[in-house]
Amino acid sequence: MTGALGTVVEVFVSGMAKASLYAMMALGLTLIFGLLGVLNFAHGSLTMVGAYVAGLVMVTFATGSGLAAVGWFLVAALVAAVLVGGVGAVMEVGLIRKLYDRPPIYQILLTFGVTLVIDELARIVVLFYGLQPRADWRGALGTKPGFVDSNTALLGASVPNLELFELAFGVLTVVAVWAFLTQTRYGLVVRAGSEDDEMAAALGVDVRRVFTVVFALGAGLAGLAGALLMWDPAWGASVPLASETLLPAFVVVIVGGLGTFRGTVIAAGLVGMVDAVTTYFFNEGIITFSGISELTIFLILVGVLVVRPQGIAGLAEVGGH
Amino acid sequence: MSLLEVEDVHTYYGESHVLEGVTLDVEEGEVVALVGRNGVGKTTTLRSILQLTPPREGDVRYDGESLVGLDTHEVADRGVGWIPEDRRVFAHLTVEENVRLSVPPGSDEEAGLETAFEAFPDLREFADRDAGTLSGGQQQMLSIARGLVNENELLLVDEPSEGLAPLIVENVAESLQAVAEDTTLLLVEQNLPLALDLADRFYVVDHGEVVDEGSTEGVATDDERFERLSA
Amino acid sequence: MVAAFGVYPLLYSVLAALGGGVAEAFLPRPETMTAVFYFGLFAMSFDFISGYTGYLSFGHAAFYGTGGYFVVLVANGKVPLLPADTPFMVSMLLAGVLAALLAVVIGSVSFRLSGVYFAMITLGFAQVMYVFMRDWDFLSSNPRDGVAVSNSLHPEGFEIGVPGVDTLNLAIGALRGDEVDWLFLDLGATEVSYYMVGLVVLVCYFAMQRMVHSPFGRVLVAIRENEERARAVGYNTFRYKLGAFAASAFFAGIAGALFAGVRRSVSPDNSLYFLVSGDALLASIIGGFGTLAGPLYGWLFDRSVVEFLSKTGAGGGLLPLLREYLPASVVEAPLVGGMTLGEGIEVFLNGHAPLYLGVVFVAFVLFVPGGLLGWVRNRLGGTVAKQLPAYLGKFRR
Repeated sequence: MTGALGTVVEVFVSGMAKASLYAMMALGLTLIFGLLGVLNFAHGSLTMVGAYVAGLVMVTFATGSGLAAVGWFLVAALVAAVLVGGVGAVMEVGLIRKLYDRPPIYQILLTFGVTLVIDELARIVVLFYGLQPRADWRGALGTKPGFVDSNTALLGASVPNLELFELAFGVLTVVAVWAFLTQTRYGLVVRAGSEDDEMAAALGVDVRRVFTVVFALGAGLAGLAGALLMWDPAWGASVPLASETLLPAFVVVIVGGLGTFRGTVIAAGLVGMVDAVTTYFFNEGIITFSGISELTIFLILVGVLVVRPQGIAGLAEVGGH
Repeated sequence: MSLLEVEDVHTYYGESHVLEGVTLDVEEGEVVALVGRNGVGKTTTLRSILQLTPPREGDVRYDGESLVGLDTHEVADRGVGWIPEDRRVFAHLTVEENVRLSVPPGSDEEAGLETAFEAFPDLREFADRDAGTLSGGQQQMLSIARGLVNENELLLVDEPSEGLAPLIVENVAESLQAVAEDTTLLLVEQNLPLALDLADRFYVVDHGEVVDEGSTEGVATDDERFERLSA
Repeated sequence: MVAAFGVYPLLYSVLAALGGGVAEAFLPRPETMTAVFYFGLFAMSFDFISGYTGYLSFGHAAFYGTGGYFVVLVANGKVPLLPADTPFMVSMLLAGVLAALLAVVIGSVSFRLSGVYFAMITLGFAQVMYVFMRDWDFLSSNPRDGVAVSNSLHPEGFEIGVPGVDTLNLAIGALRGDEVDWLFLDLGATEVSYYMVGLVVLVCYFAMQRMVHSPFGRVLVAIRENEERARAVGYNTFRYKLGAFAASAFFAGIAGALFAGVRRSVSPDNSLYFLVSGDALLASIIGGFGTLAGPLYGWLFDRSVVEFLSKTGAGGGLLPLLREYLPASVVEAPLVGGMTLGEGIEVFLNGHAPLYLGVVFVAFVLFVPGGLLGWVRNRLGGTVAKQLPAYLGKFRR
């Protein structure tokens, strides 16, 4: 039995790991919304595609031994990010671009339609190649090296290495995106365009091309998130992953403040910890309602929208959009 | 051939016919003022030149080349700059970042920064502050600095004195005068004395078209041509 | 149009009897049409709020689910104050009222927001309800599967008609519905359900139509076009929005009640999950936002395509049709990579209607923003009811 400190550590690490996952799911959505003002309903589907792509790479190429498997995972994640990013670019150029002159509702509707198409295409491919949902994709889990599956002792607690891996991956991604946004010229362009795309254009920025690049970037992040989720037994690659990741992503993005990087990261932390704590309560029998984590998360969404709709780091007073 | 030629431009916001045939031109090196009451289409004229609100009819030529149909950034690339109404600094970027962004790709960012800070020494002090925290006057300086650093031959300046205290307006006027030494300006301004002071020529705009024009040489603010401005 | 719907079952059986299987392939079965009716009502109620005021109610499934669950729970005697033998008409109406009350609660908090935020907060509320009903063990031992009407308490189908008056009531439900043998009419349970559900939906449609074409409806449109101006002119837009929301929830609840009444069971996934709201959105885009009747046709289109491409070919569809008309050699002919035509259809078409519907959806958003009905109305120059006689008259000359 782990002692009190051990329990706290376990729950904390679990919360941080979940926060990493949520941050990765939501970051792309935030970037896209910040610059284009588009709430990308297809984001969950893109994550799902990323999970399958990464899984395919792993199952086809990865050898079983320790560090080599991790190396292959990084390759798989990169492939997923690039491929899904490409899909995003195609989406933006081919479809979304045509709707910039219309009220923003059309863009939401369009991405909703795209989600239907992507999901069904995924189902067709999965059925055709006999890639069964969840159960067999734990085969992709089988590519996890042994050490990722085991635990580490930390401050009197037994912490799953997978969680530490997810945490590390998430932190790296967040830092990379932050560095891109604040330290590079292109990141500067993206931030300026997110604030005022007309003024950016008047200063010589090819805003249309930036839109495409950012959409691709956002999509790529979704793909990356999918790759990470593929290895986690609680998620795994399956078609329902699309809606399972979309809803939490929405919550994180709204609670953090639509389009703000900082808000998204903070909100991901909040939601992750709430998830871990409520799961702990349920597992320990303190609360017997099995949906308590999801319920609490949606209640937070509603609560934030009632009390402070602009979210944690939101920019302006929200009366409408 | 003038640097900028605007010919019979008609522009709409939705179905609202805002510009009903605006014709004007600006010679290289001049400062030309557009005066008129609120809502007559002065800002829309600037937006139409920039292709932010493209004209439905008519032509806009810069250095002989038609701008209609180009993307705004392409217009900016050709050397047309914008110092918009309400300053529109990037509030969540620092002063330094605002200026850096304005340096055209390919030009030296550090040199651009230096140019801006020399022209507007106050900005150097606020370099690391978020632009949104600056006062109105300081933001206007930043906005002008951006236009300067962006390497433009023609600057479209929209209501630079709006909302500013008279003392600050003087500073702004000085800055614009300095800028006008090697840049052509098309200036929209409701502050008539300021406009007459800075400009070589003026156009009077009313109900979406140009109704009068002339040289500012020796013209006073109570000139009959400006009567409709106070209507 | 009402007449067309009225004779549909007759038409279907006549065409089917003619043989050849063609009619069955392309036209949906009467059973499916019943489902088109009640979900169409839900979609119409969605349009009532989202199409006319411009406020997208992404959580609309909450009202549909409320209607469905309420009716089933009453029938099972799990609702205090209401006995298990409460007439269906009564529980259906109460379901609608309950949904409307829920809408008032949700709306009073949500209408401060608009656009994306309004959509998200309504979605949030609906998901809270979804999770709650999915995991609450008061409802049943396995709440994830939903609740079903106890067959011991209700061996017969639910009845639509005037409560209490036996002769004016007809039971619905494919297995337990009444059959009617009256004069020249010989209607099986399927047809009875079709007509009774259709009747309720028709009444509701007319009610919504009256509201939409009244001064109340005009204010709603004014809100959609320019809410600031409507407020400036003096309208208490908040109250109008709330009223419209409650009304749309009422009809959504009725739709849910009908759904439960016909199928005798509801589950969280088929009534409360946000994809259910998504289906209403699909129907509205294809049929036409802000047209009221459009979503019904949109859903009709959706169900027709699904049935056409169904894997089992149960309602007739592409597969049986091809089997009938194409010689085996064509179906077996290899196309690409060793896959035969038959296999190709099996993999890419059958059972995958959502793919093509999604493509249609995207195409409509891009090119036909008015939806089917909007396009038709555009061509006719007005609503179908008004313009059709004149339009057809053109051909007489």
